[in-house]
Amino acid sequence: MKFPVSGWMWIAPALLLTVPSMSHAQMDFSLDEAETDESADSSESADGSEGAGTDESGPEGVDAEGQAGADFGTGDGDIIGELAAEANKPEQRAEKGPKRTETVEEIYAVQQIYALRINRLELAPSFAFTLNDPYVRRTGLGVALNYWWTNVLALGANFLWYEGLESESDVNFFVRRSTRLAVPLTQWQLGAWLNFTYVPLYGKFAAFRRLIFQWDAYVVGGVGLMRTRPIPVIDPAIREFDYELRVAFNIGLGIRVFITRYLAAFIEFRDYLHLERFENIEVALGDEQREDSSTWFADSPTLRNNATVQVGLTIFFPFRFEYRLPK
Amino acid sequence: MMTKKILISLLGAGLACVALQSPVPVRAQEVQITGPLAGAPAVRKMRLYRKGRVQLQPFLGFTIRDEFSRSLMFGLQANYHFTEWLGLGFWGGFAGVNLDTQLTKEVDSKGVSTDRNRLSLPSRQGFDSQIATLTWAAAIQATFIPLRGKLALFQKVFSDTDFYIFGGAAFIGLEERADVSDGSVCSAPGQACLDTQTARSSRVAIAPTFGAGLTMYFNEYLGLSVEWRGLPFAWNTSGTDESGSPAGDFPDGQIDSDDRRFQFNQMINIGLVFYLPVHARITD
Repeated sequence: MKFPVSGWMWIAPALLLTVPSMSHAQMDFSLDEAETDESADSSESADGSEGAGTDESGPEGVDAEGQAGADFGTGDGDIIGELAAEANKPEQRAEKGPKRTETVEEIYAVQQIYALRINRLELAPSFAFTLNDPYVRRTGLGVALNYWWTNVLALGANFLWYEGLESESDVNFFVRRSTRLAVPLTQWQLGAWLNFTYVPLYGKFAAFRRLIFQWDAYVVGGVGLMRTRPIPVIDPAIREFDYELRVAFNIGLGIRVFITRYLAAFIEFRDYLHLERFENIEVALGDEQREDSSTWFADSPTLRNNATVQVGLTIFFPFRFEYRLPK
Repeated sequence: MMTKKILISLLGAGLACVALQSPVPVRAQEVQITGPLAGAPAVRKMRLYRKGRVQLQPFLGFTIRDEFSRSLMFGLQANYHFTEWLGLGFWGGFAGVNLDTQLTKEVDSKGVSTDRNRLSLPSRQGFDSQIATLTWAAAIQATFIPLRGKLALFQKVFSDTDFYIFGGAAFIGLEERADVSDGSVCSAPGQACLDTQTARSSRVAIAPTFGAGLTMYFNEYLGLSVEWRGLPFAWNTSGTDESGSPAGDFPDGQIDSDDRRFQFNQMINIGLVFYLPVHARITD
């Protein structure tokens, strides 16, 4: 197979252009990992000037790139300065490795919480899948909206769409074939809940003692509605079911990992419970009775327990916030 | 061919644009701290919970997403950690309790045996005798601990915590319905067919195992661990005759290894963690 020359002509310069930026590691040490934004000025000046040492706290007139030395050597009659510049030159030439900047370290008795939640709105799109239903693999697309009225307590709602995303497992087929037993199945369309969220746990992790990130764990729970219907498996020739609303509850545990002060990834275990109405596994005798829709449902509703894992992103609005007290 | 050329050219142009828009090349930068933390390591006085220590972890486990039988396991995990982030060890336990799922109870009470499925279900009341159960499991595994941190409980109680992943090879003791080479014993109801329902055989399945967990430390030598473990392997969980194509030779009239179906078996383990020696090393 011949690779078109025109493709290489574009890709080669592109790769060449990307090489310099890949070949130098950037070690951006934020002295206070909770204060990235506030220290942005100093860190940006260091990075943005390619490590030119423009840090305000550095020694006056001396920078890591040796620019000060160049000034000294302009021959303006400052002999001592020129001598000093000459003396500095070998060191400056030797400094072709990592750049050096200086930063004043301040220690605070109590560190500020990395990302405040109070008075912020949280939007959380997610993907969900059930754990405990061996008959139907249920997946869902969800979104949650929470308002944090304290730093640890939120009131919100979440929504999950299931229809068209589920698939029947082969367990049903094997059970039906081997035991002549039909397992009543249901189809879910959507669910919507009002929830409280409480954050009892928060902390931070260090990956390989370098990368530090903040996380919290929360409990969530609430009430809502599910819209479901039985899938006719006992008497599919006659029975048809429409979606109906069911009373639902949920309770769960989650972990949220902050990527920035307004963006986080989360994974949560959620138990969605609802009162399900299954298809009646008995078929009424007689055509008239058989076609009577009141005989199609099981006598009493069954409490369904749907252990669900949800994975998603959380976006906090507004992106910026102010601490109530100074550091 | 022309379209391919155009696509590759566009891809090249796109890469070039990305490269041109990338920030000015950055260089490694060493930050010199002049304050009281000058020269200090990133973390000081850190407890090395794992490095050079033996971890003993008695656990209680339970399987999840089971079709016919749920197992409760009691066992022990033992690891030696060469570094703070890597350990090698053993995990093993016995399934002391096996619980029938709701589906097994449904088949017990409502299953139907006919001439066509009598080998699969000699009697509905005996279905719980033919399902497969997990009896024990053991594994050799490596544990990798990429994350180490702390958490605050109700803003009052603080606990060191780490997150780990592990992987290894597992040996799983299974008890399944014994092979039935001659399915004709079930061509008619009778004791011979019923006997095949209760006959058992044991074997050891070899499978990969992997998972992830969280350890919270109460003190230098004691902690609590919660982990998820996957054990994918094939077994005949229902003890039924499944092999053969519905359009062709199904049922094949035998209960044997061909009836095993691949299952992604999963379990949750909750364990108490003890470290020996009891005192952890502390960094400078």
